[in-house]
Amino acid sequence: MEKKEKEVKFEDKIKELETIVSELESGDIDLDSSIEKYTKAMNLVKECDEKLKNVEEKVNKIVTENGSLENFEVE
Amino acid sequence: MNDKYLSVTAITRYLKAKFETDANLRLVFLKGEISNIKYHTTGHIYFSIKDENSKINAIMFSSSAKKLLFKPIDGSKVLVTGRISIYEATGGYQIYVDEMIEDGIGNLYIAFEKLKQDLSKEGLFDQKYKKQIPKIPNRIGVVTAPTGAAIKDILSTIKRRYPICEVILFPSLVQGDGAKDDIVRNIKKAEEYNLDTLIVGRGGGSIEDLWPFNEECVARAIFDCKVPVISAVGHEIDFTIADYVADMRAPTPTGAAEMAVPNITDLINNINNLKIRLNEAINSRINYQKLYLDGIKGSYAIKNPLIMFENKKQKLDILLDNLNKLLIKKYENSKQKLELLKKDYILNNPKILYKEKANKLSNLIEKLELINPLGVLKRGYSLTYQDNKVISSVKNIKKDSNILIKLYDGSIETKVIDIKK
Repeated sequence: MEKKEKEVKFEDKIKELETIVSELESGDIDLDSSIEKYTKAMNLVKECDEKLKNVEEKVNKIVTENGSLENFEVE
Repeated sequence: MNDKYLSVTAITRYLKAKFETDANLRLVFLKGEISNIKYHTTGHIYFSIKDENSKINAIMFSSSAKKLLFKPIDGSKVLVTGRISIYEATGGYQIYVDEMIEDGIGNLYIAFEKLKQDLSKEGLFDQKYKKQIPKIPNRIGVVTAPTGAAIKDILSTIKRRYPICEVILFPSLVQGDGAKDDIVRNIKKAEEYNLDTLIVGRGGGSIEDLWPFNEECVARAIFDCKVPVISAVGHEIDFTIADYVADMRAPTPTGAAEMAVPNITDLINNINNLKIRLNEAINSRINYQKLYLDGIKGSYAIKNPLIMFENKKQKLDILLDNLNKLLIKKYENSKQKLELLKKDYILNNPKILYKEKANKLSNLIEKLELINPLGVLKRGYSLTYQDNKVISSVKNIKKDSNILIKLYDGSIETKVIDIKK
């Protein structure tokens, strides 16, 4: 379940990022809030970047008869 | 002599016996096109089966006709199973049809259509039950054979597009006996593995090969699965019941993998784009603010504060001028008004007017008195007359002549004693 929440967060992060960018582009917010939002957005960018670039490639698994997982390579 | 002649019945029975003892005619598989079809009220169907050159009469008794999965009509291409015998009354041979299916589409197709119809009626394909496929999954399950093109395609596609996703394979039979039960078992098992998405499928094959994915139990397992299911059976043209009931149908296993995971390059590009837009937005925001500030700093007023003061002063002068003019005007107006009032007042108070006149008169009198010669006498001056004429010179005055001196309050008659010049 923990994994699932993390995944939702990632999608939400991108969504939030998009919202902030649109807000900033509209120019409707004052300078102080702009800078605050910018800082927040840059943190989100960093987090997303890390998630995508620094996670090593996952190994494929196969479920065995007894339900445990083993590494799996397709021949 | 007559003994060598057979009755029609006898020969017919003989022939019939021949037909019925021939093993080849007892179970016949026949292929052809229907013509002259007649549905009898008893439920029997009478028709002919023909091809380019030949024709055979056929009958399907109601007990067999009830099992038909389609309604044969003239021109239907059919595959029939039955026996061939002779109908004694006409002497004609015919095929007694036990089973009939549509040729080219086949029995499986009919079963497929029927199950599709039933499940559709039951609502298993309804859009409202379709679950959203997560856009960015962490863990994907695959129910398929551990060997073959399908799993290979799925794994290579996921690795290429989104290598950070975990893939768990649930090895399953995908064709032949036991495949449907194995698929169902694996779908149920997959629910325990915290999956974001489950791909259920296999590579291409014959319709019989794909058949497990047209089984009702597989359809129900997919429908009941709590994890969103992408179906991926065979090729683009192959549609199975699993495709209809799945939350999403992929044309191929590769297609399923593409639907299941995002392209990591797209995600990274998207984030980079957002980053660029973010920087541009904040820069333009700051630049705007800077320009605005520069505008204020560069303004005439800030640069020449005295000018602003002068302007104010000038304005003040104008205001003062205006005020003066206003006051004067007001004063004039008031004065005029007062005059008018005064006039009114005088008219209404004639005594005042009289007093004024009296004053004027006494003034006049005073003035008259000033120029009255008699007045002068009062101050000690006198007038001198001779022969009733005022004399103002000693000339012509003779010694010892009488003169009259007029004073303020009377006159004196006297004699001239001496004259001096």
